[in-house]
Amino acid sequence: MEAGGEIFHNLFDEFNFWAVIVFVIVIVWQFHHSLKYRSKDGKSLGYDSDEFTPGVFPKENDNMTMELTWTIVPFILIVYLTYIAWGPIDEMWKEDPDAHKIGIVGNQWYWDLDCVVDDVDVNNSIGPQMEAYDENGNLICQITTIDVEGQTKPLLRVKAEQSYAFIMTSNDVTHAPFFLDWGIKEDTQPGMETRLYHTPSMDEVGSSLLMCTEYCGKDHGYMTAVVEVFE
Amino acid sequence: MMLPIQTNQRAIAIFGLLLLALIVAPSAQSYPYGVSGVQDSGCTCHGQSTSSEVVPVLEGLPTELEAGGTYLLNISFTGGPSGQNPDAYALGGFHLWASAGTITPVDDKVIINADGSATHSGEDAQDTGTGNDQTQWQVEWTAPMEGGAKFTLHTNSVNGDGTSGGDLYNRLNAEVGPQPVEQARGLTVLASAIFLMATITFGCVAWVFYRRDPDAFAWERFWPFISDYLTSTDHKKVGTLYMINGLFFLGVGGIFALIFRIQLASPGNDFLTQDEYNQFFTMHGTTMIFLAAMPMIAGFANWIVPLQIGAPDLALPRLNALAFWLNPAAALLIFTGIFSGQGADTGWTGYAPYIVSNTAHSGATLWVAGQILIVASSTVSGINFMTTFCTMRAPGMGWMQMPLFSWSMLIATLMLFISIPAFGIGLIQVLLDRTIGTVFYEVAAGGDPLLWSHLFWYFGHPEVYVVVLPAFGVISEVLSTSARRTIFGYKSMVFALAGIGILGFIVYGHHMFTSGMSPVLRFVTMLTTMLVAVPTGIKIFNWLQTMHGGSLVYRTHTLWALGFLITFTLGGISGMYFPAVAMDLHLHETYFVVAHFHYVFVGGIVFGLYSGLYYWFPKATGRMMNEKVGIIHFITGFISYNLIFWPMHRLGIQGMPRRQHTYFITTDEYFALPAEAADWNMMITIAAFMFFASNLILVYNLISSGLRGQKAPSDPWGGWSMEWVVSSPPPTPSHNPSDLPVLQFAEEHDEGEPGLFGRIIEWMMIPEEQHGGEEE
Repeated sequence: MEAGGEIFHNLFDEFNFWAVIVFVIVIVWQFHHSLKYRSKDGKSLGYDSDEFTPGVFPKENDNMTMELTWTIVPFILIVYLTYIAWGPIDEMWKEDPDAHKIGIVGNQWYWDLDCVVDDVDVNNSIGPQMEAYDENGNLICQITTIDVEGQTKPLLRVKAEQSYAFIMTSNDVTHAPFFLDWGIKEDTQPGMETRLYHTPSMDEVGSSLLMCTEYCGKDHGYMTAVVEVFE
Repeated sequence: MMLPIQTNQRAIAIFGLLLLALIVAPSAQSYPYGVSGVQDSGCTCHGQSTSSEVVPVLEGLPTELEAGGTYLLNISFTGGPSGQNPDAYALGGFHLWASAGTITPVDDKVIINADGSATHSGEDAQDTGTGNDQTQWQVEWTAPMEGGAKFTLHTNSVNGDGTSGGDLYNRLNAEVGPQPVEQARGLTVLASAIFLMATITFGCVAWVFYRRDPDAFAWERFWPFISDYLTSTDHKKVGTLYMINGLFFLGVGGIFALIFRIQLASPGNDFLTQDEYNQFFTMHGTTMIFLAAMPMIAGFANWIVPLQIGAPDLALPRLNALAFWLNPAAALLIFTGIFSGQGADTGWTGYAPYIVSNTAHSGATLWVAGQILIVASSTVSGINFMTTFCTMRAPGMGWMQMPLFSWSMLIATLMLFISIPAFGIGLIQVLLDRTIGTVFYEVAAGGDPLLWSHLFWYFGHPEVYVVVLPAFGVISEVLSTSARRTIFGYKSMVFALAGIGILGFIVYGHHMFTSGMSPVLRFVTMLTTMLVAVPTGIKIFNWLQTMHGGSLVYRTHTLWALGFLITFTLGGISGMYFPAVAMDLHLHETYFVVAHFHYVFVGGIVFGLYSGLYYWFPKATGRMMNEKVGIIHFITGFISYNLIFWPMHRLGIQGMPRRQHTYFITTDEYFALPAEAADWNMMITIAAFMFFASNLILVYNLISSGLRGQKAPSDPWGGWSMEWVVSSPPPTPSHNPSDLPVLQFAEEHDEGEPGLFGRIIEWMMIPEEQHGGEEE
C-alpha cells in the first residue's frame, strides 16, 4: 500500500517530470557558468568584465530577448501545469447526490463517527449509528474499535466502489482528518460544516491510519482512527 | 556627570537583585503543571532541610512486582524528638507519594490528598488515637498494570509542643518494578541551553573587549564600552546589536529544534512529553522567524542601506534604536511561559479557535503580547526605512540607480507595511479574548472560525517574501561583484521584485486549501500562486546569466551564493506542488511542507544572509574573514543542511504529519508509515546536530577574524556601490553630511528620472523648501 490516492500520484509524476527538467537546466547552467568563467583574481581571463569603481553606477548588462524568453517560457509552463492541476479539482470536490453520508465530528482528542447522517446535527438525539446498509441489504458502513499502539481507537469500515460523502464538523477547535491511503484531508471547524467526497477503489482495499492534521493541542499526535476498505 | 552613573548603578543593582531573587527562588506556583517543589525542596511544615536523625522506613514492597497486585505497606520512623516529651500532643507524621498505581488507606489514621499522595490524618493536637499521634502507619498500594513505580516518603518526627519548631523530618526514596530509562527533562535542557548561550555571549563580548587592547585592559572601561552600544542611535551600532540579537536567537531556535529532533529520532519515543513537544515546535517557529530572521535582516538593512545609498545615517535614528530595543522585550514575553511549563503551544501560526480555547497553555497570552511588540518594532523600523529611501538617496541616485539590496529592502518594507496591520489586529483581538473575555474568536458566540486564518495568512505569506527578498538582494550584490559583471537585467530584477511584492498579497489562500473556505477563493489563489513562479524564475535566470562572460572569483560569500541558487531553486520548485489542489490535499500539513519551507527559509534566507555576512564583514569590522575556516563552514553546513531537509520530502509523501508528538509505523493491522521512515528520522536528527555544530564554526570565525583578521581595504571585493567608497570600518557619520558622495555613471544614461514612481513619491512629500526645519 502507498500513501496518497491515484489522482495525487498521477499529478505528482507529471510535476516531478517538469521539476526535474527545470532543475537540470538550472544546475547545468550554473555549473557550466561558474566553472567556465572562474578566475583567481578577477582579471586573468580577459573576458569583457565590467570595470567596477566604487560610487560609479556600472554600464548596463541586459538583453531584452533573453529576459523576455525566460518570462514567457516559464509562463507557458505555468499555464500548462495549472491546466493539468485544474481537472482533478472537480474530481475531488464534485458533489455526488447519491453518495452515502458518513458523519465525522472532531473533538479534543478523539473522532466521533456516525454511519447514518443527513446533517451533522440531526442525529444528536438518536445517537450515532454503528452500521448502515444499502438498498440491497449489503453492509456499506460499520464502526467498531481497533488497537492502535496500545490505545483503543475507532475503526471505520467502508465498502470499495461505493460513493461516500463525509459530513464534518467539530465540537471545539479546528481538526482535520487525513485519510492517509486516499491522500485527502479537510478541516473540521466548529460552527461550520465541511465536506469531503471519496469513492474507495478496489486498489484501496485494506486498512490505513486516519490522523489529525490540523494542530489541536496536547494529544494532537495521538488523535487517530483506522479506516478499512472491504470488498 | 556623577548623577547619571549613580542612577545607572542603582538600576543595575535593582535589576541584579531581581534576577538573583528569580534564580534563588524559582518555585513560582504555576497552575496547573508548574513547579511546586514540595517533594524536592522540603517539607510543608517541619523545616526546610532534611535531618539524618530521623530514619524513615518503608516496608512491604515486593521484590517481584505483580501487575495490578495489591500490597500492604508499613510506614514508620525512628529517632528525632518524637516521644521525648512526656506531654506530647502528637508523635509524628508522614507524606507518601507514588509515581504510579494507587494508594488507599486501611484505617482512619491515613488520608489521601488531591494529588493521590497519602498523609496522616489528625488536625487537633489534643486528639489521641488519630493519625498524628503515631510513629507507624499502614496503607494499601495497588500496582499499575505495567511498569514499576517510584516512591518518595517524608516522615516527620515532632516534639509535640504544638508548633513546628524543633521538629525534624527526613526523606526516603524507593522504587519497585521495572523503571523507565532516566530521561532529561526538556525544560531543564532548555533552561541550561539558554543560560549557556547567555554565558557564551557574555564571554564573547568580554573577550572581544579584552582583545581590542590587551595592554589597556581594565574592568572600569567595560561599562562605557557596553553602554556605548546600548545607548547608541548610530545605524552601525544598532545594526550590530540586531545582528547579535539575530544570531543569538538563531542559536536558541536551533537548540529548540535539536531537542524535538531527539524526540522524533525514533517512533514512539517519549524523550519529551506532548506538552513539552508542542511548546518546543511553537517556540522554534516563532523564534526563527520573529527573533532570528527578521532581526538579522534588520541588522543588514541598518548596516548597509545608509552606506549603500550615500546617507550619513538613517532618517530617524532614535526610532531606529527604539525599534531594536522592543525586540529583547518581546523575546522575554514570548519565552516567559516556557519556564513554568506553560509556554505557548499553539504552533507559530497560533490558529484560532485553539489559541482562545481553555486547552491552550496560559503562556500563549504572553506569547501574543510579545508578538504585538514585534509588530510595533517592525512598524517603527518600516517607517524609518521608507523615509530614508525617499529622502536620503545620494545626489544623482534616482530610483532606478539604487543598488539591488536597497531595492529589495524597499519592497520588503512596503510589503511589511501593508501586511503587518492585519496580524497586529488579529493579535490584539486574541489578547482581548484571552484576557478580558471578548468573543472575537469564540465560535459559540458567533465568531468566525476562519477569521484568524485569513488575517494570519494575509500577513504570513507576504512575511515570507519580507524575509526572503533581502536575501535576494544580497545574492544580487554578491554574484555581480564576484563575477565582475553588472547584474544581468537590472530593470527586470527590480520589476520582478515589485511583481513578487504585488502577487505576494493575493496568494495567501493556498495555505487554506483544506480549511473549508470559499471554493472560489481556493480556485483564485491556486492561479495566482502558480504565477509567483514567473518573477522568481526571472530572478534565478538573471543571476545565472550574470556570471556569463564574467571572471568569477571564488570566495566564501560566492560559495554561499552558489549554494543558495541550488537550494532556493529546489525550494521554489517544491513550492509549485502546493497550488495544485489535488496534490495539496495530500501534502498539506505533512513533512513535504516542512521540507519546502525549510528549503526556502534556510536554503534561501539563511544561506543568503550567510553570504552577506561574509561579504560585508570586512566593511563592518575593518578585518578580513578567514577564508579557509569559511570554506569549512560552507562545506559542512551545506551538506548537513541537505541531509536534514531532503529526506523530509520523502517522509511527507509517505504521509508523515508535522506537529505530531510521534509517528506510527505500519503494523499487520493497518498501514501507516513504512519502517524505513524510522531510519530517515534518525538520520535527520544526526544531521541536525551536524548542522548546528557547523554553525559554531561561523561564530568562531566571526570572533577570531574580527579580532585578528587581516586589515581590510575600503573595497576588498571590488564592488561598485557606495558602501565601498568609505573606509572600513566606516566613520561616523557614515558619509560626510556636508560633502555627500555624488553617484557617477560608467556610461551615458537616459535622464528619465524621476520616473512615474518617483514623481508619485515626490508629490506625496512635503516640498523641498519646508523640509529640514525640524530635523536641524
